[in-house]
Amino acid sequence: MSIHTLMFGWEYPPLHLGGLGVACQGLVQGLLKNGVHVTLVLPHPHAQSEEHDVISPKEHRIRTVKVQSMLNPYMTTDQYFQQINAVSKEMQQVYGSDLPQAVTHFTEVSVELTKHTSPDVVHCHDWMTYGAGIRAAKYHRKPLITHIHATELDRTNFHPDEWIYGLERQGFQAADRIVAVSNYTKNILVEHYGIDPAKIMVVHNGSSEEHLRAPQKLTSLCGRKHAPMVLFLGRLTLQKGPIQFLEMANKVRRFRPDTQFIMAGEGGMMGEIVQKVRELNLQENVALAGKVSSAEARKLYRKADCFVMPSLSEPFGLVALEAIAHGTPVVISKQSGVSEVVGHGFKVDFWDTDKMADCVLTILREQPLANQLRTAAPRSLQYLRWENQAKHVRSIYEKLIR
Amino acid sequence: MKHTYPNICFYFQVHQPYRLRDLRITDIGSEKMEYFDEEKNRAIFQKVAQKCYLPANKLMLELLETYPDFSVAYSISGVFLEQCTLYGPDVLESFQALAKTGKVEFLAETYYHSLSSLKSIAEFVEQVSAHADLIEELFGQRPRIFRNTELIYSNELAHIARLMGFDGILAEGADHLLKGQNPNDAYTPPSFRLPRGIERIVQKERPHGKAMRRISVLLKNYRLSDDVAFRFSDKTWIGYPLRSDTFTDWLMQTGGSSVNLFMDYETFGEHQWADTGIFDFLRSLPKIWQERGIRAITPSQVIALQRKKEAKVFDSHTHVSWADTERDLSAWQENEIQRAALDALFALEPLVKQAGNKKLLDEWRKLQTSDHFYYMCTKYWNDGDVHKYFSPYDSPYEAYRRFSHALCDLRTRLESLTPRTQTPNPKYSNP
Repeated sequence: MSIHTLMFGWEYPPLHLGGLGVACQGLVQGLLKNGVHVTLVLPHPHAQSEEHDVISPKEHRIRTVKVQSMLNPYMTTDQYFQQINAVSKEMQQVYGSDLPQAVTHFTEVSVELTKHTSPDVVHCHDWMTYGAGIRAAKYHRKPLITHIHATELDRTNFHPDEWIYGLERQGFQAADRIVAVSNYTKNILVEHYGIDPAKIMVVHNGSSEEHLRAPQKLTSLCGRKHAPMVLFLGRLTLQKGPIQFLEMANKVRRFRPDTQFIMAGEGGMMGEIVQKVRELNLQENVALAGKVSSAEARKLYRKADCFVMPSLSEPFGLVALEAIAHGTPVVISKQSGVSEVVGHGFKVDFWDTDKMADCVLTILREQPLANQLRTAAPRSLQYLRWENQAKHVRSIYEKLIR
Repeated sequence: MKHTYPNICFYFQVHQPYRLRDLRITDIGSEKMEYFDEEKNRAIFQKVAQKCYLPANKLMLELLETYPDFSVAYSISGVFLEQCTLYGPDVLESFQALAKTGKVEFLAETYYHSLSSLKSIAEFVEQVSAHADLIEELFGQRPRIFRNTELIYSNELAHIARLMGFDGILAEGADHLLKGQNPNDAYTPPSFRLPRGIERIVQKERPHGKAMRRISVLLKNYRLSDDVAFRFSDKTWIGYPLRSDTFTDWLMQTGGSSVNLFMDYETFGEHQWADTGIFDFLRSLPKIWQERGIRAITPSQVIALQRKKEAKVFDSHTHVSWADTERDLSAWQENEIQRAALDALFALEPLVKQAGNKKLLDEWRKLQTSDHFYYMCTKYWNDGDVHKYFSPYDSPYEAYRRFSHALCDLRTRLESLTPRTQTPNPKYSNP
């Protein structure tokens, strides 16, 4: 059966800031491998420009539609306001002068631009595209799938912007099926959005092919002659738990004073983090690496003796899979979706920085443990190929079409 | 007497480990370091006592008193008997009441339900002797039959047991070793002499004074044992629901001299809950057996009857056990952390024995209990297929974390007690 999905995304490599773009790309590529035709609609600050990566140019089953917009998925209304004020009044008309307007603009334009397509299903990713998804599904009279990668509650430590929360809820209610990236996220939808659990399917994110081929650490590098290094990689926002990371670092440092802690990523909490480092007198131990490229990230993963993901609320947490793929032992928050699929690693409550530190110290002290995590965890990633995860999505399509 | 049908030999394993506390690196070397989770161990013991030990013993007493041809055997670990004293003296009393019927045989094992047979024969024989002493003290009989932890067995181990003076040893009737032969028959290990070094070690600790000339091997009939222990309440199993007369038919059809039904005692009420009808099943067996002229006898009685017959050779060059489908050591010694943990533990043996500190010796031995290593097993620990584990901890890695902290602490204490032999003599060292 040939299936055509009209998909509304909102970030895509190389223009991406976080896991959503990576997950979208993995899913689209996985769907293509499963014989699904994809029309992908993306917001793009320079819709006319041609430099945009169109996944695999030789692929005939995908078409991309670019919508001129300044939207990015991790934006708050304030941040949008700052950005839009930096462009000319003329262009503000095109982008939308505030976030709600920008979303309305994206919705209208993207629905308009795809009227000529004849999809079998409409599939949209996270709140900014839900409006477009709802309208497109109505126009084409086709089933609507809303995919949820992260809720407003995850991003705000359960203090949502009511307007965004409302849009999310509308999307969930209008959907024929919801795809949640974890049981953790499914539970949030049931408990905090009042959504019928029967309507929600869990499809965990996959590990990209690139990860499966990631070069492993050389065992000679694991001989602990260098000072141990513990890595954090993520946006520096409340959700990702950078403060918890520093509290953990402080406790680890007491036993292993030579430990280096690298925090890679940028975000609104930079100031607070710098202050906390000073407060804990961690200047000698903590390095803030800022935003890193994929190549730099790979280097850091390989160099790290331990990767810690202390997120307060993490719908999935692809970084943990990336670390694992590079042979780095992981300590991850129990409040995460990825903890549902990672067996070979430590899982702790994000607030329990004592235990987090203890797990890190155990990994640093116990060579056999580190070795086993290094080898056993990457092997288990093969169960999580995108091709396989996309097969679940395809079967959701099939059930809806029938 | 009809003797065309085999006898039944019931043996039940009774054991509870000392589970570890959520130890932290910050605890290591502290004054009041406690390795074991007193609260959790008490709670589990008392829960299982209510569900299994007390009701099962009550029923067993009734059956032993009612049916003259019904006997059973138990192997009760030393650490379980200690926990009886700590958490449930009534459980110990109920076992003692069974012993008083004179129809219950108690088997020998390592006091600490340990993996010592894999690492140190000296340590192993000491633990077996200590266990035999305890059984004699509590139940008034000195064990004549040996069963090793989780039925771990090898040719060498059988001869060690023979040298220690045991009449018989239990083993898993593993298909790959039986090669189509009947597990119900009489078996003995192939005869050979142990290395002189091992013989000497064993001679030092001989619970029975003298070595035996031969030793019998009783093999578990795992199909029929597991029908009760694992499949009894499995609704997808073709034999469900298992009735005692059907089960007796199966027993009678298997031939040989003795159907050896070996299982965890916790099968009754804990692995199979009371509402599955497991107690009713057990209650009805001796009655049917009596009607059909089948006797349930003890391992020693089986061996006495088999002595008159020619025994076949049961040849096990490598270790077999009753664990998992592999029936090897992989439940405890498959992955890197399991092997590292056991190696590191036994690396402390010289230090522990030299230190002569009773408490540290006891703690070192409690860490040898096989369950600690079982909890670290990752055989089925695939992502997306997280194996439902009978473990008190979150994960195999959590088990290792706690264990490694206990070990670090123990090492620290031992090193502070024992002057380092490698310490350079100040006389000869360079300034």
